Amino acid sequence: MGMASGCNVSKKKISGFSSYLLQTLKNPPGFRSKYLQLSGLNSKRHIFSASTHEFPQNIYGFWRNIYGLSSYVIQTMESPLGCHKDFVSQSRNFSSSNSNKVVLCSGYGFLGKNTTGFSSVMMETSINPSGFHQVSGNSRWVRQFGSQAAAEASTSDGLTVEGIIANQWPILDESESDWKSHAAAIALSIHLIKKRLQWKKLVVGLDLLSAQLNKPDLWDNPVHAGKISREHGMLMGKMKGVKNLEQELLEHIDMIKLAREENDPELESESLKALLGMRRNSKEKELEALLAGDHDSCSCYIEVQAGAGGTESMDWAAMVMQMYKMWAQRRGYGVTVVDEMPGEIAGIKRATIKVDGEYSFGYAKAEVGVHRLVRISPFDSGKRRHTSFAAVAVIPILGDASSHVQINESDLRIERFRAGGAGGQHVNTTESAVRIVHIPTGVTATCQNERSQHQNKASAMAVLQSRLDQLEISRQAQMNAQHTQSLTDISWGNQIRTYVLHPYRMVKDLRTNYEVSDPDSVLEGDLDGFILSYLSASLDKDEGEGDI
Amino acid sequence: MKLSIPRACGSWCKSPVSTTLHKPISFYSSIPSSSPLKPQVPLFLRPPIHSATLSDLQKWHHWAKTLPVPHSDDPPDPTLLRRELKWLLEDALEDHSSVPQMGSHSDDRPIKLRTSLEQLHSVWRQRIEERRPFQYVVGCEHWRDLVLSVQDGVLIPRPETEVFVDLVGDVVTKNGDLTQGLWADLGTGSGAIAIGIGRILGPRGKVIATDLSPVAVAVASFNVQRYSLQDIIEIRQGSWFEPLKDVEGKLSGLVSNPPYIPSDHISGLQPEVGWHEPRLALDGGVDGIDALLHLCNGAASMLKPGGFFIFETNGEKQCKFLVDYMENESKGNFYDVKIVPDFAGIQRFVTGFHH
Repeated sequence: MGMASGCNVSKKKISGFSSYLLQTLKNPPGFRSKYLQLSGLNSKRHIFSASTHEFPQNIYGFWRNIYGLSSYVIQTMESPLGCHKDFVSQSRNFSSSNSNKVVLCSGYGFLGKNTTGFSSVMMETSINPSGFHQVSGNSRWVRQFGSQAAAEASTSDGLTVEGIIANQWPILDESESDWKSHAAAIALSIHLIKKRLQWKKLVVGLDLLSAQLNKPDLWDNPVHAGKISREHGMLMGKMKGVKNLEQELLEHIDMIKLAREENDPELESESLKALLGMRRNSKEKELEALLAGDHDSCSCYIEVQAGAGGTESMDWAAMVMQMYKMWAQRRGYGVTVVDEMPGEIAGIKRATIKVDGEYSFGYAKAEVGVHRLVRISPFDSGKRRHTSFAAVAVIPILGDASSHVQINESDLRIERFRAGGAGGQHVNTTESAVRIVHIPTGVTATCQNERSQHQNKASAMAVLQSRLDQLEISRQAQMNAQHTQSLTDISWGNQIRTYVLHPYRMVKDLRTNYEVSDPDSVLEGDLDGFILSYLSASLDKDEGEGDI
Repeated sequence: MKLSIPRACGSWCKSPVSTTLHKPISFYSSIPSSSPLKPQVPLFLRPPIHSATLSDLQKWHHWAKTLPVPHSDDPPDPTLLRRELKWLLEDALEDHSSVPQMGSHSDDRPIKLRTSLEQLHSVWRQRIEERRPFQYVVGCEHWRDLVLSVQDGVLIPRPETEVFVDLVGDVVTKNGDLTQGLWADLGTGSGAIAIGIGRILGPRGKVIATDLSPVAVAVASFNVQRYSLQDIIEIRQGSWFEPLKDVEGKLSGLVSNPPYIPSDHISGLQPEVGWHEPRLALDGGVDGIDALLHLCNGAASMLKPGGFFIFETNGEKQCKFLVDYMENESKGNFYDVKIVPDFAGIQRFVTGFHH
């Protein structure tokens, strides 16, 4: 069992600690013996291993104690039967698989609250450095409790994430080894992430979905049931992610406190390092939370349409399209031109590109609206200053086929652009454009960039499908009255950004006031600054604590 | 079209085209014997052994975009030419993701090409100045979801003809037996229809595709192999039914897009067609109906009972004439004879079943 190696290291701790355990649990030797044996297994520290063999092995006694423990826990927590069951089943695992000893080491907030000391004992176990994954394995169990009993996670002495924020510990530079600073930074990140995920709505949504999932007749409609359970899984995933973060933060804090109590600098620096890692990681998580919308992970179509103003506007529309092509290429997305209607002299009247890749919709949706250009027009012999407009629309391509709107073939009018006349063998042209009209809605899609008619039709159908899906999404959003700000709505009237090339040089977003003094870089696709500032502004704007 | 059948027959028999069509040939075989023709490899399949700097390529691109189109009554659409230029680049470049950078900053990065810059100059000049069809320039035509090799001497498959595959698809869905039978595509050209149908029929089906032209036979064989359909599709050289004597009365399906343009219309055709595409594949005799009538007459003896046929025609007149002919002259041979329009609404196809 490889226990011996660790013995010396942890002896000191064990003496104090194990007696504590015994005290708390009023535990006879039998329990301890088994427990110690188990814990020694894959632990480098071997906290408990010191005196294993001094105790007779008494499995029955061990079991009795486990049950004793669980009833103790249940009493303390006043929680419903489910908990009991969970715990028992975990305990059973415990007997069959040694590694499940972590059951006992839940660094569990609400246990801590009520049984001070007990939970710090438990924490002791979770420091065993076979790692934090053990802790998180453990917290899976924790979370089940957490969401069902709606208990707020806290440290052994009752500190919660909100509590950390309320403490307003100064946030110092990352290089400062101050755990309070790290903890405060992480807590703020968690707060921000919750806000971005619209936490309250998330909880309500999850409850609604759970209620639906519990209906006995759910699977009468398997398509609907599948959709509900997928959505439920998705929301659960989001919630778990955050709860994991909270749990991890609190556990590290507990450990630091424990390390101080126990005067263990090694453990303290280890935990501090873990906190720092979390702090760095949480910045990334904040960003991820910006793209947590229903369809954010989808690929998309970007459409640009020239405003009034003839060639100058059409040239501007082509510049905007080029900007998106380059932006997409920078991000490693695949770009395909689906539809392009060139201007007579220069530029484009309108164009549609398909941007393939994860989260392309999530990012590109921030570009919806009207883009304004101010410059000396190269098309004006009088060298006057012109203002032109181009409208941008972004349509998600839903990956989940079951969420597609059904299209009846009979509702479609398919038009092929072809030279007039006899057709057939008389004519050889590479023109094979296809336009599809969805008669009931009047929605149309055109594709002429593929090299065969068959392919043009397939591409146009895909665009049409996405347009109709989007129509349906916004219809539902309006129905659900969740439609606070419509990114899915193509708001052609909304001016979102101004690009000035003359008399000064600047690009400014009118929604966020984010600005850049180098229009060239922006027109070459350096848009992420604009996109991220808009996404965070739209999600982070103060909607009161109501959203958390 | 005021056509009496004897006259139609007569013109067919006397027309100079029909003599070439029915010139006796001494052999037919699935592999063109004696000196097998080597088909040209389409540009996009050639190895990228050439190279040019990005800036040289940009210069060529600019030259190509601005090459003046000679005056004509029927000039090519500039939008279309621009698109073709983009496609030419896509086919010529090893990595066409660099295409979007065309026209931005110049640089000396070498770009790998499947043909030389000189060749690119010369083929684009042919496209603009000689009105050479774009498909011959790049050696391929995108047809349905296929990319088919084509070259001078082989008719470039038309988008209208894509409908054949849909029609066959509909028929075999309704009548599963037809998938296991033997189909024939007469005058297959590039092999487009045969390949389209072969893929629908799947491993239990079989298609024999014939063509009189050795070039067509070579190109169709190349295309069949590129789609790994050689077990399903057999190419035979010969005129219409001649190479099919061994399968008389056994065909589940018979399809053909034969020459159907009246002889005196040939000179007035769009330059890309009239100057470059094979007359053998276009000229249908005085009324354009010679080959179609020959096919109608043969269909009854070639198809098994319940067998299905589709013929492409020049339009309403030929369709109506054929339907009338089948219902009256070869009474009792066919049923459910229908005219099917193409996507432009022109009555294009005649379909039906053999009793």
